Amino acid sequence: MMARLFSARWRANSGPWALLRAVVALVYVFSLGPILITAAVSFNPTNRSFFPPRGFSLRWWERAFSPEWIDPLLFSLKLGTLTALMSTLLALPLAFALFRYRFRGRDALVALTLGPLMLPSLVTGVGLLQLFQYVGWREYLGFGALLVGHVVICLPFAVRTVAISLHTLPPNVELAAASLGATRWRTLRYVVFPLIKSGIIAGAVFAFIHSFTDVNLSIFLARPGEVPITVKILGFLEFGFAPTLAAVSVITLLLPLILVVVVERVSGLGDFIYGDHRA
Amino acid sequence: MVRTSRWSSVPAHWLLVAVPAAVLLAFFVLPNALLLSASFLKSEAQQLTAEPTLDNYRFLLTRPLYLQVFLRTFVVGISVGLIDVALGYPLAYFLVRTRGRWKGGLIALSLAPLLASVVVRTYGWYIILNRFGVANDMLLGLGLLDERIAFMPSTGAIIVGLAHALLPYTVLTIMSSLNGINPNLESAAMSLGATRTRTFVNVVLPLSLPGTAGGFILVFSIAISAYATPAILGGPATQVAATAIYGFILQILDWSLGAALAVILIASSLALLYAASRLGARQAVLR
Repeated sequence: MMARLFSARWRANSGPWALLRAVVALVYVFSLGPILITAAVSFNPTNRSFFPPRGFSLRWWERAFSPEWIDPLLFSLKLGTLTALMSTLLALPLAFALFRYRFRGRDALVALTLGPLMLPSLVTGVGLLQLFQYVGWREYLGFGALLVGHVVICLPFAVRTVAISLHTLPPNVELAAASLGATRWRTLRYVVFPLIKSGIIAGAVFAFIHSFTDVNLSIFLARPGEVPITVKILGFLEFGFAPTLAAVSVITLLLPLILVVVVERVSGLGDFIYGDHRA
Repeated sequence: MVRTSRWSSVPAHWLLVAVPAAVLLAFFVLPNALLLSASFLKSEAQQLTAEPTLDNYRFLLTRPLYLQVFLRTFVVGISVGLIDVALGYPLAYFLVRTRGRWKGGLIALSLAPLLASVVVRTYGWYIILNRFGVANDMLLGLGLLDERIAFMPSTGAIIVGLAHALLPYTVLTIMSSLNGINPNLESAAMSLGATRTRTFVNVVLPLSLPGTAGGFILVFSIAISAYATPAILGGPATQVAATAIYGFILQILDWSLGAALAVILIASSLALLYAASRLGARQAVLR
């Protein structure tokens, strides 16, 4: 009440608050401008990056939907989906053990779990490439190696979100279920799982997005024909500006956005965004 | 607790963690250990030999070319961290304090760039900064330029691109630390006669410093190992550690030098992060 009164008065005198609003508006322009410019120049009828676009054409968008670009896009979607699935399946027992048990070696296990967040994924990528060559798994470079690498770097995200949802679980519900005679499995299946379901889904979504947007690891593990969309774009940039690339960029930006909006509507993500990044 | 008496009769926690831990050991610890060992081995004719040596480190730490690469990498990391704290703080403060109708939407809008790959976000800067790009077109049109100039490849372009790509991380960390400040402290300061500005400088700012430092450290550590942005907005003359590692491993095929460079990058960034966290910890104790 008091705080509202004060802040209302402060805002009314419009000095610092108006200044802050102006700064914030500039930060938004800086943050969103390049993305909007990318979208705008993709509609240019010519091969130049005029902004604002001179004329309107969908020819570059048609090209963006050719197999040359759709194939790596589908490859990334497949990779991201499998990564999300596998890292969530691995994260569930891991988060449960780390959160529900106190045992010797737990701290080491926590460090191991969060390790891929601490070390640059570029370094993990180089190491995995070396490992695959060293043990003679060269033929698995491409999809197999990428899947392994992505699962490793996405696992910490999934573990964290599941751990957060376990943390917010009321401690008594399991005891209540147990005291009413439910077995351990029934308690997990009918009490714990439904309560942490949105956390599991949020973890899978974060894992998917992290996989779908990764470059640092993927550049080392891709091979011709098995290339994620980000690496494909990066490789194409050598040839300079291409309006097709602007259109492809917008498509790869929209896919995770649609996913997040849908999941947010269905099960909610907001609560996990802070938690996910809080150390 | 019912749980502990019944559940710990079998080492259930080890059963639960066996598979995920094995995956992490095999595909995270082992590769990094291999990389570390390769940095101490000699490379000959693009093949690793079994001969131990320190020459890789000696080579990288004495050549001016690579010392410059390290210097540029850390200049980029520190500049990006400072820019993102300077831009992220006002935005985070506004988002936490505003009571407008659009609050939720504005928060989502400030974090939405995280959904796009760094490649995509950097591509926007490529479109703006290249010689035939939007910035040149506009400046020529306004008569501020006589002829086209190259804003990129340059270290400055790398800094701008990375600052743009990593801004949401500082916004997130600073927002969560501002959210953690008890609002009664501010009301108390103001009821004792402090102006809103003075309350901010003497109460809010010091309390949010640890979170701000955390945001800086996070952005710094991502920036020094970033590959895509320096690869797009930089060139052969503006190499950073990540692009140099890529060159050693996939172009020159010298595993030992690439591995040694990666180890130096990790070691120096861990040392800096440790120092920063000690500094942060001391501040936390002092207040």
